[in-house]
Amino acid sequence: MKTARFLSLAAAALLAGAAATADAQQPKKGGTLTYTYHPEPTALSTIATTAVPVALASTKIYESLLEYEGAGLTPKPGLAESWTISPDHLTYTFKLRPNVKWHDGKPFTAEDVKFSILTIALNYHSRGKTYFSKVSSIETPDPSTVVIKLKAPVPYLMRAFQPSETPMLPKHGFTEKEVADKQVRKAKIMQTSIGTGPFKLKEWKKGSHIILERNADYWKAGKPYLDQVVLRVLPDGAARAIAVEKGEVDLAPMTALPPVEIQRLKKMKGLVSSEDGSEGLGPIMWLEVNLRDKPLSDVRVRQAISMAIDREKLVDVIWYGNGKPARGPIVSGNPNHFDSTLPKFEYSPQKANKLLDEAGYPKGAGGVRFKLTQNFLPYGEEWVRQGEYIRQELGKIGIQVETQSLDMGGWLKRIYTDWDYHFTSNFTHNYSDPTIGVQRAFVSTNIRKGASFSNSMNYANPKLDALLNKAAALPDGAERKKTWDEVQQILRADLPVIFLIEIGYTHIWNKRVHGLITNGISMYSNWDSVWVE
Amino acid sequence: MTKTTALFVGRRLLQVIPVVLAIAALNFLLLQMAPGDAADILSGQMGHASVEFTEQLRREFGLDKPLYQQFFIYMGKLLVFDLGVSHLQQTPVIDLIVDRLPATLILMVSSIAIAVVVGIALGVAAARRQGTVADGLISISALIVYATPAFWLGLMLIVLFSIVFDVLPSGGMMQIGAGLTGIDHALDVARHLILPATTLGLFYVAIYARLMRASMLEVYSLEFIMTARAKGLSESTIAWTHALRNALLPVVTLIGVQIGHLLGGSILVETVFGWPGLGRLVFDALLQRDLNLLLGILFVSSIVVVIANLIVDLLYGLLDPRIVHK
Repeated sequence: MKTARFLSLAAAALLAGAAATADAQQPKKGGTLTYTYHPEPTALSTIATTAVPVALASTKIYESLLEYEGAGLTPKPGLAESWTISPDHLTYTFKLRPNVKWHDGKPFTAEDVKFSILTIALNYHSRGKTYFSKVSSIETPDPSTVVIKLKAPVPYLMRAFQPSETPMLPKHGFTEKEVADKQVRKAKIMQTSIGTGPFKLKEWKKGSHIILERNADYWKAGKPYLDQVVLRVLPDGAARAIAVEKGEVDLAPMTALPPVEIQRLKKMKGLVSSEDGSEGLGPIMWLEVNLRDKPLSDVRVRQAISMAIDREKLVDVIWYGNGKPARGPIVSGNPNHFDSTLPKFEYSPQKANKLLDEAGYPKGAGGVRFKLTQNFLPYGEEWVRQGEYIRQELGKIGIQVETQSLDMGGWLKRIYTDWDYHFTSNFTHNYSDPTIGVQRAFVSTNIRKGASFSNSMNYANPKLDALLNKAAALPDGAERKKTWDEVQQILRADLPVIFLIEIGYTHIWNKRVHGLITNGISMYSNWDSVWVE
Repeated sequence: MTKTTALFVGRRLLQVIPVVLAIAALNFLLLQMAPGDAADILSGQMGHASVEFTEQLRREFGLDKPLYQQFFIYMGKLLVFDLGVSHLQQTPVIDLIVDRLPATLILMVSSIAIAVVVGIALGVAAARRQGTVADGLISISALIVYATPAFWLGLMLIVLFSIVFDVLPSGGMMQIGAGLTGIDHALDVARHLILPATTLGLFYVAIYARLMRASMLEVYSLEFIMTARAKGLSESTIAWTHALRNALLPVVTLIGVQIGHLLGGSILVETVFGWPGLGRLVFDALLQRDLNLLLGILFVSSIVVVIANLIVDLLYGLLDPRIVHK
């Protein structure tokens, strides 16, 4: 055993060494990076929609004030070359980089920043209100200074300036009518590109491909390395895998490939795979449970369900090894907020049976204690099979499960508008801060009909609400971390949802591509330092 | 064109208007029955949307109005061929359709061509050799191809011709970014077209072959064939000149039906080969509850189908002069 472990460590060290050598190669200018994803983007700006395909493409075109380093997204200069934050965390002053030009040649100014935040992001971005509703004013004393004043502290404000979250858009790219009539989502600029980013739109053949070409006037000298970034729209998962295998496509990011294909391609020579680079998105999956009625309102029943599911097996068999068992609401890759003392969830059908007996649900005829209906996210085959697995495992502890299949429209309506369900698989993102991605699912003020991915469970815990509100106002630091630790422990004890898996976004790329994984939002970064052999 | 035919065509074209409008109205009402709307889907895609945000989207899309108002607004616009704006893509529906229509038509025409030519040839060959090994082989192969799912056949063709032999591209409609023009562009598209058109065509080859065989056998039993044989005409003259024309009517009818199928029914083949046609657009629009886009595509395809059937009716007259359009 020890030998095996030593050998695997040695192999890992060798691999790491090899990777380091490869990346130590001198970056080469020129060439095209082709990636594939489906569905096709519906627009080229995350203001129109923040759906994954749009975020993937638009972040090469549009930038924000900052860039980020590492899994925890440490801010570094971007369009803003420096900044100061007042001691009370209520005033943020950004100094903009001089001589930055939009793709149409006009200068990028502080007015554009103010417009992008107050007129566009705040009103149209799906998380705009989360980031900027506490902004009291934005002042632009000169064309290169932006002063953001807040009514109350926003601890995650410095992580809001990601290209997908707060893209900088040119004020002159919108007509007054589009803004006044609230037709921003229909504005022509949503389908074209006037950004400041390293790439600009060259060609969009709907249903087939998008070609982004190098922005020759990019403000970073010598960047980007690539001449072109191409998106090939291939609707079939197997066909996407074949294209990667053949080298027709260089990169399959995030969920571009079905897990079964990932497992196959991972082993192929000439391809590289990594689950890193999505920590700032924090994808997580759980079973959302309707707490309104018995027996699911009883925490012992939920604990029993949690104990009946073997999460390791779920990852290995259903998800082909993509991901790891969840340990709570925050993904373990989040270095700023995850409570690393949290143990794994226990798998014990025996204890589960005992809990159900204690809760007053003895086994009846045919070993059945009670019946439940489950729904699942209509995201593909794995979700169906996961549902089958859960049905089988719950059957073993006497819970008879009937599975109901719905398409996305039907699923959203049933779970979030009708609240007419027992439990369903669900998948969401932590994003760069738990106040953005975690709070929304558990805070009791989000028990609202029609709000998607909110508190459909009817979970209301005043103590948790108080902690969530406290964490939302504290600056990042020891006290905020402690508050989040407490939140994680309460949610593990209350189990308003059954935490299942931190889904792995396994990116697969051709080994001729370098410099892809740079931070916790690597696929939503601008790829100005990516190069190909 | 004779005067009666012209009158027939004119009358039929006039009939198209109420038919197409009725289809559109029916589609509008049917699609309302699906749970959820585009605002739900879009806010769902964005992962984090408040009730207010979803309602804001609904207002932007005009989905907050009462159903009867939405209906009259839509039908009113339709009368002036305004198909509205796609909710999810925020682009005029007509632009999205025009973008995709050429790819669909190319795939449709070439697969019909493959199906008709090969199907008829095989059907005639089988009928002429009724009861022989060749007939059995053709019939069994047709059955196997007919029973093979198109997506699977497509994937197998990709594996064979794209990976093993590496002679054809695995998907797409053109070499991206190659900037080819003129004849080079046409050849490039043709190369990309071979696999999807074959996959789609093969399914119909099987149907045509079976249908043609049955139809030919029926004609072979008629007296004029016996007369032709008595006159001493060769078997191939009898088959290709005398029997074929008479046996073609059911096949022509089927082509009319096939056009309707192919417009929306090539979804699987378009998916497997990444062919940027209408089928995939319909499918995505349906899943995303993109009502305007869906209705627009259904409107355009109903026009195409009605007109295709008109052409089929006219072809009847050409093939069989006894059919007179009144």
